[in-house]
Amino acid sequence: MTATEAGPRDPGTDEPQRKPRVRQPGVGVGGKAIGLLNGGFLLLWGLITTLPLLWAILSSFKTNGEFRTDPTGLPGGIAWDNFARAWNAANIGQYFLNSVIVVAMSLTMTMLFGAMGAYVLARYDFPGNRIVYYVFVGGLMLPVFLALVPMFFVVRNMGNLPIVGQFLGLNSYLSLALVYVAFSMPFTVFFLTAFFRTLPNSVAEAGIMDGCSHFTLFFRIMLPMAKPGIISLALFNFLGHWNQYVLPLVIMQDGDKRVLAQGLGTLAANTGFRADYTALFAGLVIALMPVLIVYLLFQKQVQAGLTAGVLK
Amino acid sequence: MATVTYDKASRIYPGQDNPAVDSLDLTIEDGEFLVLVGPSGCGKSTSLRMLAGLEEVDQGSIRIGERDVTHMPPKDRDIAMVFQNYALYPHMSVSDNMGFALKIAGTPKDEIRRRVADAAKLLDLEEYLDRKPKALSGGQRQRVAMGRAIVREPQVFLMDEPLSNLDAKLRVSTRTQIASLQRRLGITTVYVTHDQIEAMTMGDRVAVLKDGLLQQVDTPLGLFDKPQNVFVAGFIGSPAMNIATFDLVDGNATLGESSVPVPPAVSAAVKEEGSDTVTLGFRPEALEPVSSESEGGIPIVVDVIEELGADAFVYGQPAGPTSELQSDRMRSETVIARVEPRNVPAKGAKVNFRVRPGNEHFFSVKTGARIEA
Repeated sequence: MTATEAGPRDPGTDEPQRKPRVRQPGVGVGGKAIGLLNGGFLLLWGLITTLPLLWAILSSFKTNGEFRTDPTGLPGGIAWDNFARAWNAANIGQYFLNSVIVVAMSLTMTMLFGAMGAYVLARYDFPGNRIVYYVFVGGLMLPVFLALVPMFFVVRNMGNLPIVGQFLGLNSYLSLALVYVAFSMPFTVFFLTAFFRTLPNSVAEAGIMDGCSHFTLFFRIMLPMAKPGIISLALFNFLGHWNQYVLPLVIMQDGDKRVLAQGLGTLAANTGFRADYTALFAGLVIALMPVLIVYLLFQKQVQAGLTAGVLK
Repeated sequence: MATVTYDKASRIYPGQDNPAVDSLDLTIEDGEFLVLVGPSGCGKSTSLRMLAGLEEVDQGSIRIGERDVTHMPPKDRDIAMVFQNYALYPHMSVSDNMGFALKIAGTPKDEIRRRVADAAKLLDLEEYLDRKPKALSGGQRQRVAMGRAIVREPQVFLMDEPLSNLDAKLRVSTRTQIASLQRRLGITTVYVTHDQIEAMTMGDRVAVLKDGLLQQVDTPLGLFDKPQNVFVAGFIGSPAMNIATFDLVDGNATLGESSVPVPPAVSAAVKEEGSDTVTLGFRPEALEPVSSESEGGIPIVVDVIEELGADAFVYGQPAGPTSELQSDRMRSETVIARVEPRNVPAKGAKVNFRVRPGNEHFFSVKTGARIEA
């Protein structure tokens, strides 16, 4: 009797134990654990990236005395003076302006020429189309550092060209902008070609029927239709151009023509001796602001721009 | 207003041996509504796009009125096209979409506004003029696409399956709207569809294409009553015509125990081409039930009955002792017959049908061409 009683009881007690054991890896505690791990990892990652940023921003509001006695503490008041010193004394104002001028030129040209090139490669059939496309895509593989030395000589010698030479050469906004354009063209063309290919053929045909020339078709119909792709890529290129350091380092050697990234480098180097850390942080924050604003406003498009090339 | 003439126009796609459109000869009268119809891949859309200038003409020529437009760019042809997926400009409002062609042509702004307003009134689009296409329903988008063609006041309208993206009910109502609009405007129209009902209901004349070749051009009733070959006979009409190959014996077309009397002219023609078989076609409505004893009947086992209220159709298999032979000789899987909608046979029942005299269509077995009785 005990055996028969124990018989049905055993599976009865076993069952509730067994069931969760079978489910565990798929949906039970396992799922939660992965979620927790994911969340924890993301939180850690978030802290790693934001904490230095927050520290820099907080430090930019401190006085030098406060910073030295308690580097990690909160500022006692807001020392706007740091920003004034960075802007004027450390010449960040001038560098900021230089960056704006160069990026405005380079971004306009990159997007205009990139879109035009990509449009033609995507929608016109002509001999050599594929070759041109692969030359652009091949440009993606060229490391910037490999091109630095030849680029320096090319840019310097461009200054000797008749008539246009005065606008080019070293220490010229236009030169630097053109170099930016050259380096961002491969990805821009690669990405936008894929984008233009997805646009419906029939709309282009409707435009042709409505009497568009090739140029009106591009500027009035296809370009507005490609706006989401253009915006993503413009943001991506803006961030790239704004943060560029190596290229201007080679081309902009004149003190007045330096861009923001270089200016910060100089400021950091000088701070080593004068120990004006809070002005350095203020300069950093000034340089950071446009990038941060762009990221905050256009998060979605930036994300699309970064991932679209990978997924397609 | 203008006529449209295809003069032996051909289109051969690069890398293909067979032409997509093979020396098409077709004249469309001024103000006529011509429908190009055929199964997919028959070259109907290519023909339209050749006229639009979106597709090259490799041989022959195309004329609009007296102008040779064969190698003219689309914008100089004075035509407007309605696309299957409407192809509206997504970034423009409805009024900008409709006025875009005029704007490109440099028409004064007042004139554009007036013409867009007129077209919008005609198409009942006035309250949507400021909307973007994505905020419109399918039917409204279709009307905007029509409006875009109308404001240009072209010599020829081209329509490439403009109704195929609408739901069934809307398609029927839009069908009549387009047809009546075209009659009112009196603009020559070429309309492409794969739907033979659309073709029959809308067209003044219908051109049937197959494999790039023009099969027949006629009025809808002409196509229905006198199909020029087996393909047209099977393509036009819904449900489709029953077609089978019959033996010609003693002035009768026989297949198994079913037999249909053949007019002497037809027998003579068949003998002339040295054949003893003839392709016989009869529409579902040409069949009538008869008693099982009567001569020459076609016994059928009922598979499916479609009751549409006004009509009823019987789908069945040949059932007599020679049913296998009969099935082999048939063009389709089933025999279709129209029966009295209030007096339908039961499923599985065996019914004897006979072809009403004078409703047979005879075709040559060799060429597929019609043999006139």
